[in-house]
Amino acid sequence: MQHPHDETRHRYSESLDATLRSTVELGALVLENFRRTTEALLENRLDLAQHVIAADDEIDAKYAALEHRVFEVMARQQPVAGDLRFLVAMTRILYEIERSGDLAVNCAKGLIRREGYSLTANIQSLLARMSRKAADLFSRGLDALADLDAEAGARLDEADDAVDDLVGELYSAIAQRSGDMGFDLAVELSRVGRYMERIADHAVNIAEHVTFIVTGSFPEETAATKDEG
Amino acid sequence: MSKSTEPVFDIDDLSVTYGDFRAVEGITLDIQPNEITAFIGPSGCGKTTVLRCFNRMNDLIESASVEGSIRYHGVDLYGPRIDPVEVRRRMGMVFQKPNPFPKTIYDNIAFGPRVAGHKGDLDDLVEESLTRAALWEEVRGKLAEPALALSGGQQQRLCIARAIATRPDVVLMDEPCSSLDPIATLKIEELMLELKKDYTIVIVTHNMQQAARVSDRTAFFTVDVRDGGVRTGRLVEFDDTGVIFTNPSVQSTEDYITGRFG
Repeated sequence: MQHPHDETRHRYSESLDATLRSTVELGALVLENFRRTTEALLENRLDLAQHVIAADDEIDAKYAALEHRVFEVMARQQPVAGDLRFLVAMTRILYEIERSGDLAVNCAKGLIRREGYSLTANIQSLLARMSRKAADLFSRGLDALADLDAEAGARLDEADDAVDDLVGELYSAIAQRSGDMGFDLAVELSRVGRYMERIADHAVNIAEHVTFIVTGSFPEETAATKDEG
Repeated sequence: MSKSTEPVFDIDDLSVTYGDFRAVEGITLDIQPNEITAFIGPSGCGKTTVLRCFNRMNDLIESASVEGSIRYHGVDLYGPRIDPVEVRRRMGMVFQKPNPFPKTIYDNIAFGPRVAGHKGDLDDLVEESLTRAALWEEVRGKLAEPALALSGGQQQRLCIARAIATRPDVVLMDEPCSSLDPIATLKIEELMLELKKDYTIVIVTHNMQQAARVSDRTAFFTVDVRDGGVRTGRLVEFDDTGVIFTNPSVQSTEDYITGRFG
């Protein structure tokens, strides 16, 4: 049915699609910066750590511009139903992405403050595994967003348990060696573990917001409804 | 969908035909007391036709015939012993364009009750009706002036005052704000929220934000175009307004309210 507002609405749909694409791209920048961070941590690359901090400025600027765009679309289009869920979820997803970027920067700043870490082989291996898992989860969260995959939320939540287990192992390893490494480094490395765990959590949140966009409820609610049924 | 309270209207498999032309078919829904129910949908979807069944205004069109049942407080509205005039007294109606009588403000309100043989004090009734329609303060000093001298928004509130002066049970509104500016529209919407304490309101609106702002439940109608261009309206989805505007169940509802067709 031809309608006088078709052209306007078409542009509206395109602007929602563009918002989704730009948000996924922003996520990819954060993921790249996080991978750079772990490389810096594991190889004591202070130059890379500096690069991570510098690259975050671009991420922050893009985040602010995208958030502004979402608010403007809301104000001008008065979205409802699926569009409303999409835009509300997008403000939250943007936050999850931006916050993950900040956590990567925190890791980089810690490394610079101490002018590099001397790590035991065990702790280094644990950090390497954790960072791989966290990056993998974050990448899957972005895939879920790009594909608007409603099922990914529940899957990522399960996969996140492995990261939680690894951070537990890391804390134990740090506790065992805290006498040799000194209090400050023990605290610093615990923080790094915590930041990586949080990045994985943000990835799960992103996928759960995608579930909300598609279904109107979060994975745990859907599961609860299924249990009742 | 069924609520625990007794519905004001219980509509079951309603179809309306004008001559050979079937305007709407298979409508089943209920209207709950002291709620605002909004009918939305594209032009030709039959929402106004259904509204006009509630006060038997379709009777005024000779070729119109109504099938299915409409029960009003449990009574068959199209039963043989029902007096359409009495039905219309119980259901005030407000139209798209304000249509005051070319009389004084006072007489616009007093006319219906006078015809109906109102026994009490007419002055009190006029004041009460205008007060309820949020117009009293603006017109109290000029009741003898012509109604047509009022602004469009005031005229529409006068029509609402006139509709409630006969003490109806239901107020039917057919796009009551479509000729009003945003401020006058806001006043009517506030008035609707006030009136639903005492009345049951059914509103047909093309303004989806209006349905979202004021109504408790929303019915989305659409029009099916068959071979030969025959167009028949039908009900697609009926649910709490919050659900319709955040997570409707049917794709065509979503497409319509998000402006992707229609």
